[in-house]
Amino acid sequence: MHQLVEISDLITAVDPHSGHRLPVRRAEVIQQLRESGDERAARIVAGLPTDRDGVLDPHAVDRLLISVHTELQRLSEELRIGERLVHLLGPLFTAIRETTGQPGPYRLVDVGCGLGYLVRWLATTNALGADVELVGVDLDAALVGEADRLAEAEGLNCRFVRGNAFGLREAATVYVSTGVLHHFRGPALAEFFQAQAASPAHAFCHFDIAATRLAPVGAWVFHRARMRNPLGRHDGVVSARRAHSDETLLRAAAVPGIRALLYEPRGAVNPFCTTLRPVIGVRPQLEAPLRRALGRDARRIVGPEHLAEATR
Amino acid sequence: MTPAIPLILLGLIDAACSGFRAYAGSDARIRKQRATTRAVLRGLTVGAVLLLAPALTAALLLLTARDQARTYGTLTAGGLGYLLPLTAYATAVLLSLAAYFVLPFRAGTLAMVIGLGPLTLLRPLAIAAACLGAVLNGGGGSALLVGTIAGAAVLCVEPAVHRRWYHHVQ
Repeated sequence: MHQLVEISDLITAVDPHSGHRLPVRRAEVIQQLRESGDERAARIVAGLPTDRDGVLDPHAVDRLLISVHTELQRLSEELRIGERLVHLLGPLFTAIRETTGQPGPYRLVDVGCGLGYLVRWLATTNALGADVELVGVDLDAALVGEADRLAEAEGLNCRFVRGNAFGLREAATVYVSTGVLHHFRGPALAEFFQAQAASPAHAFCHFDIAATRLAPVGAWVFHRARMRNPLGRHDGVVSARRAHSDETLLRAAAVPGIRALLYEPRGAVNPFCTTLRPVIGVRPQLEAPLRRALGRDARRIVGPEHLAEATR
Repeated sequence: MTPAIPLILLGLIDAACSGFRAYAGSDARIRKQRATTRAVLRGLTVGAVLLLAPALTAALLLLTARDQARTYGTLTAGGLGYLLPLTAYATAVLLSLAAYFVLPFRAGTLAMVIGLGPLTLLRPLAIAAACLGAVLNGGGGSALLVGTIAGAAVLCVEPAVHRRWYHHVQ
């Protein structure tokens, strides 16, 4: 079976140690996409500009990715992702305030923030309270630069950092992300959660596409109706096909020192109402206060024991 | 009853929505009410201009007809047939929009996923159904001609506004 690959993962490369951008040869990307059986993606990449040596024009790639992420933000706006996050993050911060008894400030770090829509939306609405500092982190310098520019243009109280979210000087209270988890394949997924468990963070809450049979069809319809860029349309559908199952996420997130939970698992909710759902990780002492703060919605949360029940 | 007024109203509402769609996805700011209003007005303006094409076609058909009363009757019948599928479509859109804005986020997602998203893709089909309705209701070739031009006009608003104002905007 061919491996599903997103074009945006292949057309930029960064040295993990220095953070410097690396040249990407268009022919190599095309070959990789052809080997994965994705001729359409190969054609999209073939249309990208290069220099005389066949290296993708980094400025053109940056402009393209900013444009695709801008279109992508429209989907987040229409699917009210901000409200969906606050619905969980509000009670989570309430539980953290209650458990730690500290006045703050607390710090929310958005991992792989892209244009920082979530962070900027939270800063605009002040939905989590003034004691929560908002930070977006991404490896892509162009996206972070644009996120910074947008935040400054609207005078928002948040900041953006290029680099590794787990290497920040100031520790996060809660790590969040939207649409990032499916980029981690194999052992990298568990390593992603382990890094958070090893940090001083109290919790994490990562939203990703709910892996249902409807997801790829829904993604196709939505990206067709709402996005113009062929790259965005392509990657949107591939993302849905790459989405991790509830079981994979719960298993990977169950790392020492963390109680892994899943909100709105498959089978418990209408898939038309829940296009993205989060895997949550909390320090064990936080689970009870979180459930209390969620009230009736706590019934939508399941732990790894749900897997055992589901397979019984 | 002449179906011209409801048809023009539907066309203008659709043009305003097309203006919004042409702009949406090109501006990553959070607060953009003013820019959204401007896009809606641009859609409305372009739509009003483009909708002159079917209006002029209908006027031309009437003015050059030997039997103007009969042509008027045929166009009216065709217009009513054209209106019926579009009314059904517009009702579905309005209900989805109302659900999206009024209900909590889960129901809002539902309205978007099974309503507004697919309905956007179905616009050409709605136009095709309207043209068929015009013919089936006795509008004949003249109503089909006006309906096809009107359909093409409303479908052109979004690409025209996007190309004119938002093509290179991020």
